[in-house]
Amino acid sequence: MTPTDGRIFGSPLKRKEDPRLLRGRGKYVSDIKLHGLLHAAVVRSPLPHAAIRGIDADPCLADPRCVAVLTAADFDEIPQLVCIDAEVTTLPFLQPALARDKVRYVGEPVAVVVAQDRYDAEDLLTLVEVDYDPLPAVVDPERALEADASIVHHETNLVDTLRYHTGDAAGTITNAPHVLRERFETQRYAGTPMETRGVIATWEDRSGAITMYSSTQVPNGVKTNLQIALDLPENGVRVVAPDLGGGFGVKLQIYPEEILLCRIAQKIKRPVKWIEDRWEHFVASTHGREQFHDVEVGYDDEGRILAIRDDCVTNTGAYLQSLTLVEPFIGVTMLTGPYRVEHFDATAKVVMTNKTPMNPFRGVGHVQAAFTMERIIDLVAADLGLDPVEVRLRNMITPDELPLNRKFGNVLAGTIVYDSGDYPTCLRRAAELAGHADFAAQREQARAEGRYIGMGFGCFVEETGLGPYESGTVRVEPSGKVVVLTGACSSGQGHATTLAQIAADELSVDMDDVQVLHGDTDLVRFGVGTYASRTAAVGGAAVRVAAGKAKERAAFIAGQLLEVDPVDLELRGGAFSVAGSPAASVSLAEVAAAVAPGSPLPEGVHDYGLEATDVFHPKTNTFAYGVHVATVEVDIETGVVKHLRHVVVNDSGRVINPLILEGQVQGGVALGVGGALLEEILYDDDGQPRNPNFMDYLVPGIENVSPEILVEHMEIPTPLNPDGIKGGGEGGAVGAPAAIANAVADAIRPARITATPLFPARVHEAISAAGLGATVEGSAR
Amino acid sequence: MSTHTIRLTVNGHEHVAEVPARLTLADFLRERLDLTATHLGCEHGVCGACTILLDGETARSCITLAAQADGSEIVTLEGVAGDGEELHPVQQAFWDRHGMQCGFCTPGIILSTIELLDEHPQPTREQIDEALGGHLCRCTGYVKIVEAVQEAAQAMSRTRP
Amino acid sequence: MKPAPFDYAAPTSVQDALGLLAGNDGAKILAGGQSLIPLLNLRLAAPDLLIDLRRIPGLDGITRAGNELTIGATVRQRRAERDPAVREAAPLLTAALAEVGHPQIRSRGTIGGSIAHADPAAELPAVLVALDGRVIARGPGGERAIAAADFYRGFLTTALADDEILLAIVLPVAPPRTGAACVEVAQRAGDYAACGAVAQVTLDDAGGVSDARVALIGATDRPFRAHAVEQAIVGGESIAAAAGHAADGVEPIDDPRVPIAYRSHLAGVVTRRALEQARSRAT
Repeated sequence: MTPTDGRIFGSPLKRKEDPRLLRGRGKYVSDIKLHGLLHAAVVRSPLPHAAIRGIDADPCLADPRCVAVLTAADFDEIPQLVCIDAEVTTLPFLQPALARDKVRYVGEPVAVVVAQDRYDAEDLLTLVEVDYDPLPAVVDPERALEADASIVHHETNLVDTLRYHTGDAAGTITNAPHVLRERFETQRYAGTPMETRGVIATWEDRSGAITMYSSTQVPNGVKTNLQIALDLPENGVRVVAPDLGGGFGVKLQIYPEEILLCRIAQKIKRPVKWIEDRWEHFVASTHGREQFHDVEVGYDDEGRILAIRDDCVTNTGAYLQSLTLVEPFIGVTMLTGPYRVEHFDATAKVVMTNKTPMNPFRGVGHVQAAFTMERIIDLVAADLGLDPVEVRLRNMITPDELPLNRKFGNVLAGTIVYDSGDYPTCLRRAAELAGHADFAAQREQARAEGRYIGMGFGCFVEETGLGPYESGTVRVEPSGKVVVLTGACSSGQGHATTLAQIAADELSVDMDDVQVLHGDTDLVRFGVGTYASRTAAVGGAAVRVAAGKAKERAAFIAGQLLEVDPVDLELRGGAFSVAGSPAASVSLAEVAAAVAPGSPLPEGVHDYGLEATDVFHPKTNTFAYGVHVATVEVDIETGVVKHLRHVVVNDSGRVINPLILEGQVQGGVALGVGGALLEEILYDDDGQPRNPNFMDYLVPGIENVSPEILVEHMEIPTPLNPDGIKGGGEGGAVGAPAAIANAVADAIRPARITATPLFPARVHEAISAAGLGATVEGSAR
Repeated sequence: MSTHTIRLTVNGHEHVAEVPARLTLADFLRERLDLTATHLGCEHGVCGACTILLDGETARSCITLAAQADGSEIVTLEGVAGDGEELHPVQQAFWDRHGMQCGFCTPGIILSTIELLDEHPQPTREQIDEALGGHLCRCTGYVKIVEAVQEAAQAMSRTRP
Repeated sequence: MKPAPFDYAAPTSVQDALGLLAGNDGAKILAGGQSLIPLLNLRLAAPDLLIDLRRIPGLDGITRAGNELTIGATVRQRRAERDPAVREAAPLLTAALAEVGHPQIRSRGTIGGSIAHADPAAELPAVLVALDGRVIARGPGGERAIAAADFYRGFLTTALADDEILLAIVLPVAPPRTGAACVEVAQRAGDYAACGAVAQVTLDDAGGVSDARVALIGATDRPFRAHAVEQAIVGGESIAAAAGHAADGVEPIDDPRVPIAYRSHLAGVVTRRALEQARSRAT
């Protein structure tokens, strides 16, 4: 068979899902109405650490508006959230679905009340009397490691210590011509999608099963966890993810409220809904990033990095979540990014405190790793008076060194092997697009005029296309329509379009004839879900392989119908014909009809239906990479930073839809602006959240993000899946904070930048410490 | 708690309803009228997802009481496209330019864009920033939103009498 | 986040509104609701009764009489922002209104509501204080005028009695050759400023400054009238030098994101910038 042309794959097609959403016909979980729906509100701990002496629900139950109350007492054994990647810990750091004897963070669920509407349910919260005995709280992770620190769980706040080393870092540093010692801090922040979480649980009388609608990125995983938590058989629960208003990782695990609402539905046999409000989201949905790196870096006169020692601490909050260890793991193992560093010794301490628990979100540990490493490079370059791009090139792994086994790994990711790419070309192209060669002169000219502009680079390599697997089913109906089922679940990334592009490409049909279905565990039996930039790479591969299998079967059937050898057939415009003889053709619709039940099968064909499934297990994950270049202007008097321009050269392998990928990168950059300049989840020393609302937690607005985010794609395919796709959902968020922080440092050199977010007072402090501000005020006369 | 009879027009249809004092306009639209395109992102008036047109001007329905809207005319996203298949030029532009990803912030942004283009048919970048500064989007990074607004402006100026 | 239960009333006269307010500690006046309703939704406030002013006639006027501009309590911020009479008579108010929140907030927020809410990070209270305006309030005992200098007592606290309603504000009409500006330092437009300043400058025939008004936003628990700056400018000092007095006598609020020293520093910066802009607009 001749290969299909690639005009659909690789085209910047408009999204199929848009018209419905644009007309306001989206169905997010809070939009779903069911007959007899009740509403729940969650009693949450107001204290960061306390023993619970008793929970009295009677005053609440006595209120006529109260339909039900759920507390820990309603469970024989409280279900716990799972931690998938805990390797060594056996201590009880797992979170119960409801607190029974202790609460360990503000916002921890203690009880659920159910009423006719949410207004009433919130009124009823205060009627559940919880007798708290406050305990001391600890919020700082280094304080939590001190001998006299208050213990969050059991014996120690040190959950785990990860160690990775190659070569002899300590010895090399001792003998290095130059040594840099510095501490880099990334703050606590979160994905904060515009749609908060939400759950509807309902009891289906006919099947004796629970249906749960949830704003989740991982319906199949949640279903499995619910089965375990509530001791249900496989067909005892169905999970449906409707339209999602963003996920960004915050929705990638099972949460207590999902377990609790299902339990309530099971008990009272009525549908019940809980929609997380924004205050709740800040305390009850997982946080990310808070991580410090104390580094020692040995380097030579040419700026070559000889060795790095890294003492890393991650503040993981009060309980382990599903993938808690990924943040510290990636933060150290991916520290060196695209650079060749032979001698490396990292220790990552995972520390518990009385803050909301941590779980990965967009970019996960790569963000902290890139920020730390890219600042190191710039500091080395500054110390030696070298061009920071030149220093990067001197240290970068070259294409002929790939694939490169980094020799680190963990239970989830396997061993880190950089599979494909060309980091130096990416960097050179980004520098060219950004106008790096001319910038130093522009910067000096601006400074002479009293303006402070800077350019900064953020290079990264990112673990993408994670396994363990993803499923794809492709079915051709007798009408000729193609249905694609995928375990990947969309939270706004356009899967209904990109995966359709793969199927349409493979089967040579119109995009209008392909429909992608996802998010329902009754439809999609095996699935993992969407996170870790895996949908295009792994979900797409499953669709490609499944479509290929369907095409192969279709070709065989067509061959039987046309009485030709399938090898001589070509598939074009949804029909099979012999090359050069278009008259003798049979459409996919006709092929599907030929194997529809009700009539005898063609000769040699043994099954009915035209459908194929693939569950794609990538051998290992792939590694996308890119280079960000940010240009900023710093108001020298106030420390306010303006993001002027941003360039990204991004290699996500082959690109299904460049328009959609560009949108992903630009959105990631905006998240990076937030991480670099604006966002921080703040706690006071007593463990109370200070800014659990949108007034005081600053999500970037339109004026905060550069008006121009130029994205150029490099497409070096990975050998790890049929289309060579690496994945692009997170890279924008990974490279941007490093680039912006470096740009700020460039603008206000020699001021020292070592922590984010770079809010105005912090920038101003750095400016003052470097003695920059004074000259400006003097000249203001 | 008091209840009140309110009369208002929503997307051209008249409604009479009895509402509790504390029912927000957003919840009235979403729960009573099943107009769920108006979204709740924060309920404290910052994110803009709940934006509607109230007596011709954009307003936050999450911090407006339904009782305050007695006698008012309201337009939500559902009232923008009309009954036919054709999208409003602003909706079309958001589709063409990929100005939307998850769609949660989009209804409010479309209404603010319609208001903007009504007053400034060829808006400057500054005017766009001003009109959309009160809308938070977590997905797009705003670049394609601005492109969509500019394309809508072009499209509408071509068809303006 | 849904509000706790409350009753709602929309009386049709000031008299009726006062009657509802009288003796009811749990009653609150509702104007635009842009500051109040978020607090209710967050359950940071739980009044028993909201008294909506929307149906009371005569509270939404903008009238100029002689040297005074009177603006009714329920005048929407967006309307005032666009009103040519306001721009001509009170350019400082126009400049400040452009910085209030976002257009979607200003379409509902009112002049009276912002003045009475007394958030120290709000712009309109600073305008009232800078211009030595006054508040017209009515209570059971009758109507009275409260001078701006006496009006703001602390964080969210004014001289209004619990049984009084703010009916209007009165601002002096700006003389000829007056320019005004509002400058704020915030990471996002529409946010609470780390510090801001409203400034108005009037020039004499020789081009010198005959009158200067400066008030700080968000520096302390109420708007701060920077008399030292004003005196320095009128006394002939340069704007930059005068702005150096901006923080004189201020006890700045401390905050993890805005430490005291930084806020004091900003006070000088915003004052200088606001004065420079105001001066350049004085023609």
